[in-house]
Amino acid sequence: MKSRTRGRDLLHRWEGNPVLTVEDVPFRANTVFNGTPMETDDGKVLLLIRVEGQQGYSLFALARSEDGLHFEVDPQPVMMPALEGPYAPYESNGIEDPRATKIDGTWYVVYCAAGNWGPRVALARTGDFESYERMGLISEPGNKDGVLFPRKIGGRYARLDRPIGQGVGSVWVSYSHDLMNWGDSEVVISPRGGFWDEYRIGASVPPIETPEGWLEIYHGVKMTSAGPIYRIGTVLMDLEDPSRVIKRSDAPILSPREDYERIGDVFNVCFACGAVLDQKGNMKIYYGAADTSICVATCTLDQLMTESF
Amino acid sequence: MPARKRRGAPRDLVHRFEGNPIISMQDLDFQCLDVRNAGVVRIGGEVLLLVTIEHLAGTQCFFLAREGSRGCWHLEPEPFMTPSSEGRFERHECKGIMDARITELEGVYYIFYLAFGETGYRLGLARTSDFKSVERLGLVSEPDTKGGALFPERIGGRYARLERPGEGRSIWVSYSDDLVHWGGHRHVIGPRGGYWDCHWIGPGAPPLAIDEGWLLVYYGAKQTSAGPIYRLGGVILDRGDPTRVVGRTNIPLLSPRERYERLGDLTNIVYSCGALLDADGTLTVYYGAADSCICKGTTTVADVVNRCTAGKETF
Repeated sequence: MKSRTRGRDLLHRWEGNPVLTVEDVPFRANTVFNGTPMETDDGKVLLLIRVEGQQGYSLFALARSEDGLHFEVDPQPVMMPALEGPYAPYESNGIEDPRATKIDGTWYVVYCAAGNWGPRVALARTGDFESYERMGLISEPGNKDGVLFPRKIGGRYARLDRPIGQGVGSVWVSYSHDLMNWGDSEVVISPRGGFWDEYRIGASVPPIETPEGWLEIYHGVKMTSAGPIYRIGTVLMDLEDPSRVIKRSDAPILSPREDYERIGDVFNVCFACGAVLDQKGNMKIYYGAADTSICVATCTLDQLMTESF
Repeated sequence: MPARKRRGAPRDLVHRFEGNPIISMQDLDFQCLDVRNAGVVRIGGEVLLLVTIEHLAGTQCFFLAREGSRGCWHLEPEPFMTPSSEGRFERHECKGIMDARITELEGVYYIFYLAFGETGYRLGLARTSDFKSVERLGLVSEPDTKGGALFPERIGGRYARLERPGEGRSIWVSYSDDLVHWGGHRHVIGPRGGYWDCHWIGPGAPPLAIDEGWLLVYYGAKQTSAGPIYRLGGVILDRGDPTRVVGRTNIPLLSPRERYERLGDLTNIVYSCGALLDADGTLTVYYGAADSCICKGTTTVADVVNRCTAGKETF
């Protein structure tokens, strides 16, 4: 048999997957999935992870690693849904899907506040990775999958998010002077009929700056009679105006194939929430699998830039 | 009043103008598909309506109408505002602009409108000082947000608006320092199960300052097997914090009953984009009926406040 230069997916699954399951969580929980990595100054990788409690709503815990592959979960959650105060009605169904971005030395976490009137994009920040200060609820209801760009664009902070218009969930870009008030929203990419991302899409990994443009690793969904299939793809956006799309992957870079991606609370889900990139261009992409565990996949930035499009 | 015997209380708190509808398709000098909702403003002694007209091709735009002598309304021959073909607006307005809501704030007239484009509905914001020229400030909401209504005063030093996001179909408030970047979104009121406003609601006329707070005439929809019924209700919001509800009508202020409210492009709709408050406490509500004509009706603020703050009325 002729040897193939490429496997089934562009991303390479780590052989030790999954890196975290509910067995690794030191308190009672239902599942752990959708974690976002934060690199410390001394080279450790911390994962802020979504833990779904047995009650059914989600909270955040912290997992620590020396090598980005082997993690220990802290004994207590680091962020719980607000029970009182102005955030409580907007987080009554939990906090979900954190995405961390470092801007000018500060780590910001964009998360989904699941509340009485639908999901909203919310923003917090941390100095020590253990305490998280809520800054605000920064979207209208019906919006999720918010990620911050790692630097200002044209003098303003920028974010991607996923509001829904006329039943179609597209990825949009918005801008802000203060991270609290957002405007000049514009659509970036929408679902593509007939493709693997024909039903829903959303931003996944905070955008990565490259000389050719902003690389966004996003998720796309195809609906089937047995439910949705969540896959991972790439899009390259203009550095100065991210609503200008330069390239978009025709094929996914990762699709659910392994048992841990196919079988779980939600079948057939690969859902990335962050990546780390070392100086040699090696990437580790962290993704939730089947809404039941956290996995890691690797590749190089060069590969993504040359082979995914 | 001759002849007709009066039976008990009037059917609706808002008294319909006898000359309704005040603007309908038959009154126009040009052909169009239909006449929709209208925002209203009073400048000096003159009342202006910004009417949504559906062009023969199906797209919508705004015409200015002025009240002439003897209560006749005259539309200007050329539209006041049409969907923009300019860069960042075109894709978001290509299917039309509609439902203008006018607010006078600090000497400027702001117009919130619904922009319908490739990605759904969004709120557009424009301003004018003379209703001759108009300047677009931007598209200022996420997709599928409707019913934008600017408060006529700043709240806590900031511009404030009411809106109806697509998700949850409730009325929310948000704030801005520059009218372009908006934040601090909070839920105000939502649909009420079992009521006439049980399926979705949205802002109607831009909020009016009254002694008790902000008076908002809003619309509520109840879905039936033959389609929704849109009615008008009232809610009073706290002046300093509009998420605090002072009172809300349990029964509608106005329900579709007349033929012109029941029959049209859509059926069973009364929908307001503007109301005027007189010094003597008279409230004139301008409303679109059945998506096919413009009407008006009057009531008093005192009656509306009573109904908002009264106990639950069961009949």
